[in-house]
Amino acid sequence: MKVRTEQDQWATLDRLLLDAHSRGDHVDLVRYYTQAADEREAVRDLDAACFYLTHAFVFALEAGVPEADVLNYRLFEYGRTERLEF
Amino acid sequence: MNKHSVLSSVLNDVNIANGLPNEHYIDPVVFAEEKQSVLFSNWSGIGFGKDVPEEGDAKPVDFLGMPLLIVRDRDGEIGVFQNTCRHRGMILVDTPRKIGGAIRCPYHSWCYSLKGKLHATPHVGGPGQNKHEDIDKDDLGLVRIRSYVWRDVIFVNVSGNAPDFEEVHGPLMERWGEFEQPIFHGGETSSFKLEVKSNWKLAVENYCESYHLPWVHPGLNSYSRLEDHYNIEARNHYSGQGTLVYRQLTDQDGATLQDFAGLSDKWDEGAEYVALYPNVLLGVQRDHTFAIVLEPVDQENTVEHIELYYAKSEAETPEHDGLRASNAQLWKTVFEEDVFVVEGMQKGRHGVLFDGGRFSPAMDGPTHCFHHWVATQIENGRTV
Repeated sequence: MKVRTEQDQWATLDRLLLDAHSRGDHVDLVRYYTQAADEREAVRDLDAACFYLTHAFVFALEAGVPEADVLNYRLFEYGRTERLEF
Repeated sequence: MNKHSVLSSVLNDVNIANGLPNEHYIDPVVFAEEKQSVLFSNWSGIGFGKDVPEEGDAKPVDFLGMPLLIVRDRDGEIGVFQNTCRHRGMILVDTPRKIGGAIRCPYHSWCYSLKGKLHATPHVGGPGQNKHEDIDKDDLGLVRIRSYVWRDVIFVNVSGNAPDFEEVHGPLMERWGEFEQPIFHGGETSSFKLEVKSNWKLAVENYCESYHLPWVHPGLNSYSRLEDHYNIEARNHYSGQGTLVYRQLTDQDGATLQDFAGLSDKWDEGAEYVALYPNVLLGVQRDHTFAIVLEPVDQENTVEHIELYYAKSEAETPEHDGLRASNAQLWKTVFEEDVFVVEGMQKGRHGVLFDGGRFSPAMDGPTHCFHHWVATQIENGRTV
């Protein structure tokens, strides 16, 4: 039943992300996109991980929260962006 | 109708000159020409610093159809940008708001710093790939519009070709050098706007002459007679009027507003009202100043944005709240008394046999000075 559990987790995360989008809640958007990235990174699905990292980074950058620095660094380490100074 | 009517009669001396022809007030083609030659090619007012008081404040402005974005950055500096994403041309900010970190385009989320630098291009090289060798972020920052803030008015030179602001407007900055000190907006009651069915130039013309005062503002005539006024004319720069009998407002206890510091005797009873070409009207008195930005909506509609400023802030002088409110109401009454005039002149310019009018050589110098400047800008635009 492990596969079904993962599906359930993704469905939950998907709902949380949609809810955060509808509320325009940048803190939650950064949190849940980072969580999605972490989960894909854990299974070495790096394209998907960087996709979610990108979203987490963009919303962190827009909000001006400290996570933007870390997220930018993670993307930079994967060769997916330039390093920004914060 | 000849869209490019000869303006030589406007450029004559005031005693024989005609005013600008009708088409400069009613014709959309000429309005479009003036937009470029007069308003975009010079230093035009578009707003006020007080509208973006804190770091990260952003205010979109539609200036003659051009989307602009006023931003106060982390250094406290005000910048003006074209409010258009460098990617697909999307409007970036559509309502005034606080920018927490970066300006994010709502379409594909390209992000810009408050200084306009392009900081993020998500997925530009494919999903999860945020860079591409052909996308140079250093070349794709927001288009910065040349701007300058003086007396809290935000001026822009859209064409980018005007001489420096301090060169163009140095003469008035020097004339009013004594007022070069901190000013504080008077708060909510000190801010109002008037929507008038008039070409913006008529508001300038009416503002900068005192000839109409006894007829249109009889309330002023009891203490501020026509002979107490003088013309101000600085050809190619500004024009207006001064009074020798400015009288301070007092409340029921005889209190007055705080004076600006260190003013010379001239300002004890003196005050000056100047149209800073093209579209900003300024007034200075010993205890307050004001600025009016004329927003040209189209050839027959203008919004007058009026803001009053004081030597001390609201927080420092709460005991003067009533005086500030009374002062604002006084000015609002005066400016409202002018509405029928500018709207009446606008209607009058649909009289096809009107020839632009003749000036009083003694009284209309400031208005002619403005017409001369406008005509010169238009002629300059036609020779480019």
